[in-house]
Amino acid sequence: MSRHVAIFVFCMLAGLPAIAQEGAAAIVGVWETGNGKARVKIDQAGDKFKGRIVWLREPNDESGNPKLDKNNPDESLRSKRLLGYWMLQDFIFVGDNTWEDGTIYDPESGSTYSCTIEMTDSNTLDVRGYIGVSLFGRTDIWKRVMLKSK
Amino acid sequence: MNGHSKFDIKGCVLSILTYLILLTSSISAVAQESDTTFVEEDFSMYDEVELADGGKRFATSKVLGQSPNKLISLGYDFQGRHDMTLDDLGSAPMSTLQVNSVQGIRIVANFPIISKTNVLVNIGANYGESLYQIDNADDHPLSQSLQQRGLRTTGLSATVFKPFNETNFLFTQVTADLNGDYFLPDFQPLSFTRYSLSAIYGWKRHDRLLYGFGFTRSYRVGEPNYLPVFMYNYTFPSRKWGIESVFPARGHVRRTIDARTLAFFGYELEGQTYRMSSLEGVGGVLDPELRRSELRIRLVFERSIKDFIWLSVQAGVRYNWNYNLDDGDFFRGFFGDQLYIMENDLANALYFNFSINLVSP
Repeated sequence: MSRHVAIFVFCMLAGLPAIAQEGAAAIVGVWETGNGKARVKIDQAGDKFKGRIVWLREPNDESGNPKLDKNNPDESLRSKRLLGYWMLQDFIFVGDNTWEDGTIYDPESGSTYSCTIEMTDSNTLDVRGYIGVSLFGRTDIWKRVMLKSK
Repeated sequence: MNGHSKFDIKGCVLSILTYLILLTSSISAVAQESDTTFVEEDFSMYDEVELADGGKRFATSKVLGQSPNKLISLGYDFQGRHDMTLDDLGSAPMSTLQVNSVQGIRIVANFPIISKTNVLVNIGANYGESLYQIDNADDHPLSQSLQQRGLRTTGLSATVFKPFNETNFLFTQVTADLNGDYFLPDFQPLSFTRYSLSAIYGWKRHDRLLYGFGFTRSYRVGEPNYLPVFMYNYTFPSRKWGIESVFPARGHVRRTIDARTLAFFGYELEGQTYRMSSLEGVGGVLDPELRRSELRIRLVFERSIKDFIWLSVQAGVRYNWNYNLDDGDFFRGFFGDQLYIMENDLANALYFNFSINLVSP
């Protein structure tokens, strides 16, 4: 009997990291921002998560050239293309469908904000960018998108 | 055995070399992966997508390039020298006095308490004061009150932006203000709270154009009035110019110098009715209400001085729209024939205002 209990406990403990990992990785995928102007692909790198812009509704500037990160306060980055830009950085899964300690970059203002992401359902993210404390912030709702098979 | 040993050593060296090559490659890959710069990739696969749960998209409340929302604003307002002509009141005859300055602080706070794609709710609070410095203020009870007590306004507001889809939205705002000649922290009775309401139904045609029509009950002309309103926010394709307006309350042309520097030219109509408790009973007036409204034609310069801290400086002309006194708070409208207790006049004055602001993400 005790042997069976030990095996059961072992199996449970062995399975826990896998379950936790699955919860953490639930955020991986392609998401559309609340204003529909961009799609962001979130990937996992080690124990952290980050996201890059993979689609822009208006990918080109008024001259027809690919949009650059011209508002970045770091002048050396202003020649970088926005498409492919890593706008989410350093998120850590803390459980309860929440990723914290990350930052989000707003290309329109060139500002980087502290950010927390909460997955409210499997296809919805509450992405809250804030300044210092969460009270001074704004939540954007991102929706998961699926690639259409061609 | 020796041959095996030689083979093993050779194999081991090869393994180590292979491992090092793989390690170096993986480090390189990680370095590239963690790089925040553009990595060549075919992103066209993300052109054709569908929402996973078939969800709706919603219009946002701003257009591209629009000035940032201010979460907290600490400001100072100053009006320069001008003449004030006050009608007779009780035993006091009509008087023309010189106002040397009208100045005071202005504090505004706005907090988004619900910030969702399908609804935005903001709660705000504001405090402002107008402290007068008038020559020979004791010549008239109104100027005496202004000199000794000044005017204060303390208010709360709630704003709701409700998009129904990618195009249509409803914008509503309710404000409650206590305005008068009171001193802090002794507010005047809450029964003198004045309410304003605006509702606008609008369309967001694209990322650079948003407009709407609505109605407002407002004190911007100094006394309660009901007016149609037209919201129009537009950014030109160049992104360097834009218009930010809610007619007739305000209208500005915006020049975007860069993402952190904006300039505006336009106007704002500011107004409130002020309960003048110090004048109660003077000249038989039981419920004195000072109807104050001014048109501010101005240049505004706003710049991010450190991350999310923005400096705003404005300068212009304060044009007097209304400074009359009523007995009681009632609706007159543009066509009412009720007489004012006092019909006063203020000469125009130069003014400036600066504020430090914490702006919203």
